[in-house]
Amino acid sequence: MTEGRAASAPSGLKLRSGNQMVVEGALRAGCRFFSGYPITPASEIYREMTLRLQARGDVALGAPDEISALSYCIGASQRGVKAMTATSGPGWALMVEAFQYALMTETPVVVVLVQRLGPSTGGATQGGQGDVLVAEFSTSGGYTVPVFAPSTPLECFALTIRAFNWSEVLRTPVVVLSDKEVAMTYETVDLDRLPEIPVRSRPLATAEGYRPVEFGALDEVPPFSPVSGPRKVTLTGSAHNKDGWLRKNDAETLDVLRHLEAKVRARAVDMAEVSRDFQDDAETLVVSYGITSRAALEAVRLGRAMGRRLSFLGLLTLFPVPVDAIREAAGTAKRVVVAEENLSGLYRQVLAGTLPGIELHGVNKLGGMIRPAEILEVL
Amino acid sequence: MTTNAEEQSFLADRPFPYCKGCGHGLVARRLNEALVRLRLDPGRIVLTTDIGCVGLVDPLFPAVHTVHTIHGRSTAIAAGAVLADTLLGEGRMKNIVMIGDGGATIGLLHLTQAALMNVDLTVLLHNNMLYGMTGGQHSALTPAGFATSTTAQGNWVPALDMEQLLRGCQAGFFARQIATDAELGDVIAEAIAFPGFALVEILELCTGFGVPLNKMDGRTLRAMAEADGRGLGVRLRRDDRRPYHDVYRERFPAATGQPETTPAGPSVTQVFAHGLDRPRTVIIAGSAGERVQTAAAVLCQAAVLSRLHCVQKNDYPVTVGSGFSLSEVKLAPEPILYTGIDAPDAVLITSADGLKEIRGRGDLGRLAAGGVVIADESLAAELPSDRTLSLPLRQRLSPDMAALGAVAVLNERTGILDREAIRAAIGVLAGGDSERLERALAAAATLGA
Repeated sequence: MTEGRAASAPSGLKLRSGNQMVVEGALRAGCRFFSGYPITPASEIYREMTLRLQARGDVALGAPDEISALSYCIGASQRGVKAMTATSGPGWALMVEAFQYALMTETPVVVVLVQRLGPSTGGATQGGQGDVLVAEFSTSGGYTVPVFAPSTPLECFALTIRAFNWSEVLRTPVVVLSDKEVAMTYETVDLDRLPEIPVRSRPLATAEGYRPVEFGALDEVPPFSPVSGPRKVTLTGSAHNKDGWLRKNDAETLDVLRHLEAKVRARAVDMAEVSRDFQDDAETLVVSYGITSRAALEAVRLGRAMGRRLSFLGLLTLFPVPVDAIREAAGTAKRVVVAEENLSGLYRQVLAGTLPGIELHGVNKLGGMIRPAEILEVL
Repeated sequence: MTTNAEEQSFLADRPFPYCKGCGHGLVARRLNEALVRLRLDPGRIVLTTDIGCVGLVDPLFPAVHTVHTIHGRSTAIAAGAVLADTLLGEGRMKNIVMIGDGGATIGLLHLTQAALMNVDLTVLLHNNMLYGMTGGQHSALTPAGFATSTTAQGNWVPALDMEQLLRGCQAGFFARQIATDAELGDVIAEAIAFPGFALVEILELCTGFGVPLNKMDGRTLRAMAEADGRGLGVRLRRDDRRPYHDVYRERFPAATGQPETTPAGPSVTQVFAHGLDRPRTVIIAGSAGERVQTAAAVLCQAAVLSRLHCVQKNDYPVTVGSGFSLSEVKLAPEPILYTGIDAPDAVLITSADGLKEIRGRGDLGRLAAGGVVIADESLAAELPSDRTLSLPLRQRLSPDMAALGAVAVLNERTGILDREAIRAAIGVLAGGDSERLERALAAAATLGA
């Protein structure tokens, strides 16, 4: 957890929700364009971004649907403006096509996906962690989508800035995977002690002879030039060569496709963010993320007080999978327990491949937050 | 492209990719004429193209920006770019959307929204009345009687009338032409120059499917349009509507360039003492509109002013304005991990709606050892008398002050917070209403005594 002790002077201490701190993070990161469509539990982001951006003359747009919302953001980003939208599971389903278009056209954009109970309309005001894999794997072709999962309002702030930074630096769409319990719960936040995170922006084209998709090594990020800017831009959601022209299966075009993955993979270690609470000679490692990671840490502390040898790893980066951090945390543990609020252990299935030879257990639940006692039962 | 205006052309010197006789090539030539006539800097022009044969146009205009999009979304992506450019950039962009009748079908909402907002962009709707690239299937713009590969005997559903639709959207500019019309270039130029949303519907025949399935040519196409009551030419031009970016900028003046700061709201510098040695949890339940969540927020704000960590969760039915309203509050001297409440230390119930919800959740059965229930006296008969403090909250304080009153009584009984901290919290939260809340607070103190 990144939450610290209360400040000695109370003036900066305020009650803020996760949604509100996403807004603070987005504005701090330089977001100047937001488009949204109402959906619980993400609507507060829509409302507050609208008020804040309009108050400073920046752009907030109500969209007629989620497809429009993300499409507006993509158009704005292609013009060079940092843009964000926020939604929940049903809205994400509509956004997937445009999200992939952003990936293919190397258009930075941040989507905040506030999970709720599914499937379908599910429970609008009920929590859940069931969108972990649809956030990552909705894209055709097996490309890695960076996904960050905050568990507190403060992490909402920090990870939204990091999501913008990575989206810009990599020129790729990024997901902030929140959930109802993080998003709509109000907590003490010290606004005077928010972390200072340097803001980064996309690399800009400066050279003459600009090619829209210019890279040497596959993992290089091509410099950006805006549409209607000084250099002619050619963009397409179809497979294309380095000039941005639609091509089918020639060597350069396949390189462009490989490059879309390579640029993300190459920075996986830098993107990995976790919170650790390790114990020497731990027999069991508890891994969790989002709201459940807080119950997991509490369970670990309760378990230690009962004499059990336990380590805790909270994942703030879900994808690219922070493999090194997970293996390091597992250390000599005999088993790994993964706690998450979904039916079948979605992230546990992802971890299975990274921890060969280690016994994997899941603590899973639907319809309510996992309680520390429910995790403690298996420790 | 040459610089001589007489010879200037935006078109590439390369063969068109279209079938022989396809109207798309004519539209490309007429668009080129329009761009030449308007003497636009190619660097200002963005061609946003949709999916289908219409999307083959990008390489024909090598000097302008081209954005080939996804099916039907061209208008929305263009609108985002235009608004970013006009409101946050130099405002130099001329965005021209190239879309077919299939793209207009699947992306209809993006067209109507751009028209309603009057976003400053131009749409060239290539209407050949079917999906050509995928085998000639019918679209929402296929007229009744028109044969396609999926309506072999003729379509039996009427075509969407784009003119009527856009009139309903208060669109600024609408024109309809046949692709072979000599004046098409002039009309496109007028549409591009129009300061707002402009759509030109261009009627064409797909030589691959439309012509062989319908035995039609350009002349019969014109006759069909006239028979259907689809008039040609500039059908709609409204100069009374201002483009969206103008209206927006008037309402929301441009940024001053100040760095973003986080507004912290009213500040209280005083630090209040508290009597909390371990986490405490409170559930407050009442009826919608009776300020249950305000009461919870006051409690939390008072805790914050006392340097405590605090969590507040609100719950209510989806209808928001009816039924129950419930808040969960957790206060602790240390940072809070798990935010749920397994065993509440206190349950405050101010109405029958609240009691029903508390029952449904089973909160009374989970009450912590030593836990208390504070309830309105009207509910006394339904609650365990040994653990319940029944008070005339609604009657003495009014229904919408009952929850705050219950919070005050709880605090008097437990001594968790300084009474003054609650008062200060009301000052922070309630604004103009704080006097009424403070009166309720004082009355509640005597109630619980």
